[in-house]
Amino acid sequence: MNQVLNLPLIRLLVIKDWQLFQKQLAAYVLAGIVALALLGLARPWAFYLGSLLLIIVLVAGSCFSISNSLLVERKEQTLAFVMSLPLSPLDFTLAKLAGNLLTFGVPFGLLLLGTLVVVLTTPLPDGLVVYSLLIYGHILLAYSVSLMVAMQVESEGWNTFAMIASNLLVNPLIMLLGQIDAISIPARADAIVWSLPAVLILSAQVLLSLAALGFTAWWHGRKPAFY
Amino acid sequence: MNPSLTDASADEPNGTRVHALDHLRALAMLAGVLFHAALAYSPLLHPWWPAADRQHAPLIDALVWLPHLVRMPLFFLVAGYFSASLLQRRGMSGLARQRVRRILLPFLVAWPLVHLSVAMATGWAAEATLYPSPLLQMVREWMAMPDAQAPPPGTGHLWFLHYLLLFGVLHWVGRVLELGGLLQRWLALGMPWVALSLPLLLWPGFALTSAPHPAPEGLLPQFWAIGVYGPFYALGVALFGRLESLDSLRRWLLPATFACLLAYALFLRALGVVLVPGNASWDVAALQALIAGWATLACLVFGLRALAQPRAWLRYLAASAYWTYLMHLPLLFAIQYLLMDLNWPWPAKFAFAVSATLVLCVVSYEILVRRTPLRRWVG
Repeated sequence: MNQVLNLPLIRLLVIKDWQLFQKQLAAYVLAGIVALALLGLARPWAFYLGSLLLIIVLVAGSCFSISNSLLVERKEQTLAFVMSLPLSPLDFTLAKLAGNLLTFGVPFGLLLLGTLVVVLTTPLPDGLVVYSLLIYGHILLAYSVSLMVAMQVESEGWNTFAMIASNLLVNPLIMLLGQIDAISIPARADAIVWSLPAVLILSAQVLLSLAALGFTAWWHGRKPAFY
Repeated sequence: MNPSLTDASADEPNGTRVHALDHLRALAMLAGVLFHAALAYSPLLHPWWPAADRQHAPLIDALVWLPHLVRMPLFFLVAGYFSASLLQRRGMSGLARQRVRRILLPFLVAWPLVHLSVAMATGWAAEATLYPSPLLQMVREWMAMPDAQAPPPGTGHLWFLHYLLLFGVLHWVGRVLELGGLLQRWLALGMPWVALSLPLLLWPGFALTSAPHPAPEGLLPQFWAIGVYGPFYALGVALFGRLESLDSLRRWLLPATFACLLAYALFLRALGVVLVPGNASWDVAALQALIAGWATLACLVFGLRALAQPRAWLRYLAASAYWTYLMHLPLLFAIQYLLMDLNWPWPAKFAFAVSATLVLCVVSYEILVRRTPLRRWVG
């Protein structure tokens, strides 16, 4: 690949995605602060409500990020305008991937950090760190798959299906984790235990996420034209 | 440029410098040093304060809780004003960069150092003092336990930096979600209505915590602290460019002061002599909300008149206030631990502890900050 990337324009497109996403991001940050404050109350009802709100924020954030920058733009036929810019398909793909990863990655990273602070600094058992990371790992995987589908498939129906199905699978994952003694028992203890099943699941989540993103970048990168 | 905690010159939009706000903020931080020093002799906090002396005086409890209800609200109000000023001059990214340089980095550096030095001084005092405070006795027993669990980490007296960062984020959220209109409408009601409604806004926050309210030292945001300090920060933001609207409160100053004093007397009566765990009752929370809201506004109105002229000593105080506040607690604790076994009367101990702490802070400011690159961060 000896193509020269138009980095200034890629940067501008990423900033554009970021600015268009700011309102939703602000709402998610607000909801995230409320969720963390609820968790900080260290009461069972507040913990349940705070965790639920965190998951809602994460899922909504990932769906809005993809929907805003890809599906809405496709519907509004922004691509025709983008094609008039001095951009190659690879530039466009990289800008879309970077913009999406930024708008999803910032709230995801902040909430992940906040969750770890909650678990490690409140009376909650520290073993929940592994459990939380596995749930965050799933959200990351669901997002990567949804992003891959959104960039590959134009059908809005299939995209909606991919986003809902991949994120809803967090429920069976939570049930599955509860069934695996090597994960569920240490989650109630005050020590962080990385059991083999936990390491395998988290590794699979991270590797599959990277594979999905890598495949998308590779597939679009080799396209000679926008269509 | 006058270095300050927010690195924002306290300017009106027309470029006029508002010295009074720099001075008020410096005095609010200085009041914090006096407040923390006085707690060692408070009967109410005797079981809970690490540096509690065996001598204590009810006079302290009669005096300290009023400034406690005012100094940090005033600080956050001024901080909100400065943020709005900085936002106008440098935009949101400029404000964010400044927050990182002046608040986040000093916080990340000072936090472990302060935590470690307080822990070391407290550990030494628990072992070495002949007349330890009840809390030091607990620490002594805790240290003797073979499998003692470490207490959860907290921000200590640096919690205000944590909340300045949080309010910075909420400021951005409010701006992006275009919530500024709500503030404008609130202010458009007129300052007397703002003054009347402010205690109502603060009331739920005070009801969500104990009385007197503790420092929100946890790493996670706490609803009560957001509810108590957030409205002051927001009011500070809204007052940017509208300080003259406070003139309408001048006639109201004297009756409000009397109302605050009456409310404070009732608050002290409700407080009793023993600290009751659990959230404050709604009536006590209402008294605190009234005192915090009105006394803070009264200080602001009074300060804008009385502290308006630039004065060299106040300017120096303002410049060194950030460093002094960051440094004071470990020094104060160490000095008060050393004083614990002495048979001095408590006023002498108090005066010595405050003087020695301030001298050490100012000397260290002169040597380490004033003429060094550190000035950029904590000067």
